[in-house]
Amino acid sequence: MNDETILGGSSELRGNYQTLGLWLQQILQRPEPSITETATADNDGEAQLELTLAGNYHLSFYQQLPDFIMALLNNDLQAPLTYAPLLFHLAACRECHSAYLDLYSSMHAAVYPIATRPLLGQGTRTLSATPHRMLSHLSQSLISQAEAILLQARHEHMENDAAARSLLQLALRVSAHITQSTLRREALKDLVRVATLFEQASTSYQSASSEHSYTPVLATSGNTRRGAVVRRADSSVHAHTVDNAVIRLQAQSLEGNIVQRGEILELQLHNLEESLRGSFVIISVFLGSLLEPVRWSGGNPGAIMSVVPVDENGTLITPLGTTDLRLTQPEERNLLEATFMLLNIHKHV
Amino acid sequence: MPFTAHDLRYRAEQSYPLLYAYLHRNAQRFLGALKYDAFEVDTVIGHVVEQLVRLGILGGEDRTPLTALDNLSDAQFYAFLSHSVRNKAIDRLRKRRLQVSSTAELEGSDDSEADNNPITDAVESLWGTTPFSTPEEITLRISSQLELRNVLKHCILALNAAPNQLQAVMQELHEFGADDFILLLAEELHFSFDSERNPHISQHKDHAHKKLRLCLQRQSSHLTVAVALRITMYTVKHPTEKNRYEVPIQMLAQDDFSVQDVQKALYALVDEGLIDWHGEQKVQLSSDQLKRLSRFYKEE
Repeated sequence: MNDETILGGSSELRGNYQTLGLWLQQILQRPEPSITETATADNDGEAQLELTLAGNYHLSFYQQLPDFIMALLNNDLQAPLTYAPLLFHLAACRECHSAYLDLYSSMHAAVYPIATRPLLGQGTRTLSATPHRMLSHLSQSLISQAEAILLQARHEHMENDAAARSLLQLALRVSAHITQSTLRREALKDLVRVATLFEQASTSYQSASSEHSYTPVLATSGNTRRGAVVRRADSSVHAHTVDNAVIRLQAQSLEGNIVQRGEILELQLHNLEESLRGSFVIISVFLGSLLEPVRWSGGNPGAIMSVVPVDENGTLITPLGTTDLRLTQPEERNLLEATFMLLNIHKHV
Repeated sequence: MPFTAHDLRYRAEQSYPLLYAYLHRNAQRFLGALKYDAFEVDTVIGHVVEQLVRLGILGGEDRTPLTALDNLSDAQFYAFLSHSVRNKAIDRLRKRRLQVSSTAELEGSDDSEADNNPITDAVESLWGTTPFSTPEEITLRISSQLELRNVLKHCILALNAAPNQLQAVMQELHEFGADDFILLLAEELHFSFDSERNPHISQHKDHAHKKLRLCLQRQSSHLTVAVALRITMYTVKHPTEKNRYEVPIQMLAQDDFSVQDVQKALYALVDEGLIDWHGEQKVQLSSDQLKRLSRFYKEE
């Protein structure tokens, strides 16, 4: 390594480097929006905890930070060279540089500890007993991370679907422990959008023009009594009572249900229009491939063929698949409900 | 130990409640007078949780590469988490412009601990003596270290294909007073300043900056420059041909690059017209080519 700053070059040289450094700083530092700050508490106390890094995040550089910092802490003189692209990036990116400072401070404290004793304790043992607003935040973080991974993979013309899928599945499982429907909706608000980034999804699901897109009417679970208050998946206030063992679906004025008969998940749609009557339909469960415990009819949740045509009254009752999950179990029901966050149907031709 | 970094990575659902409890206790301890403000406590915990997710520590399994954090001992990992909480708590306290009336107000139950008064400590030095603590420090290091400065030269060299952008950048360097650097580049590029000022220079400058930013942060740029420098270091005289030099690809790879990486870099140097190479196991250069590489990358 040839570092004139460390090894002591002439003052004239140092002056030149400073000039060059100033110029370099100017070209690297483009005007950027300030770091997205976590939401501040509103007066009404309704503030949601927002993600800090969501849109200003450079995955490949960020994940190199711990190794770079450890090399610096080990006084590895080659570190600036080994991590040269990261070093240039840190000069250019305010968010990643801020994260670097934060991590450096914490890793320094870990490697060179002052005498402290960790505040250990038993804590809570289950996700259900953990504050649900923090489960919602965790789900959002996982979904956002999955998005970053997919965007990075796309940028580098690589495939990293497995890593992103695993995070989305974890987000789904975590969100299933949230009993309050509004929090659960908040937790999964970006799920469908991020799932569209999967190459498979963008080709097979979006190519078919759907006649109807159904979304679930989110139910508040967590109690065993029947007849919980529900709200529609969008923000409209639409409360009525439902049976907890049923997932209610809506597509504008159309309604439907998913019920369970033994292991079979059955789709029931009503008042379908004239053009669909007498025809078979193709059903696509957009997030179906994320949920492994469901064995979808035909094997592809993106194209489930109805076993019967729509009858003369516009009703369709057809199986979607089988599962060991139970709609009567609140957490399992939440998991299934999230999976049916977007269900499209179109006429089979 | 109730949980480890390994647990968070591979058993996220089971270990998250324990992580939350640990972060919660620390957040309350470091938030002092704000410790009963649920929103502030959540904000601090949420920051650390998000950081762990982003780093692949929480739920990353084998699909996210292991980092130095995975190799910390359990005690070190707890210290890392605790300090991360502390930093964010200080940040929140500052943002809320909390008026602290006494040290005791900030102290939790275990007031004997040295880092239990975050504000006082933070006023002295939040980050301590952190290398690369400002962008200015980073760019000074880059410009004063030959290997890193070479990357800058390499990326400016690549602007040769867009003469207006090259003019704009050289003009800018001149305005900054980096004339020694311009001389070095001008010789290689056979560059001279236009006699008339381009009316669209600002636009060309913006485009050039964008290209430079991309080039400087690209791994391939650094690889190409490193291989070019190794060529100047390890090339030896050809055993039979006069004024010819050669170096085996394997020697350029050494222990840290793959042969494929070296081949990519060599193709980049061919594209830039610096060497002639057609996929052979040895790179051969004329004495002129070697002198040119040495002059540019070793600043001899």
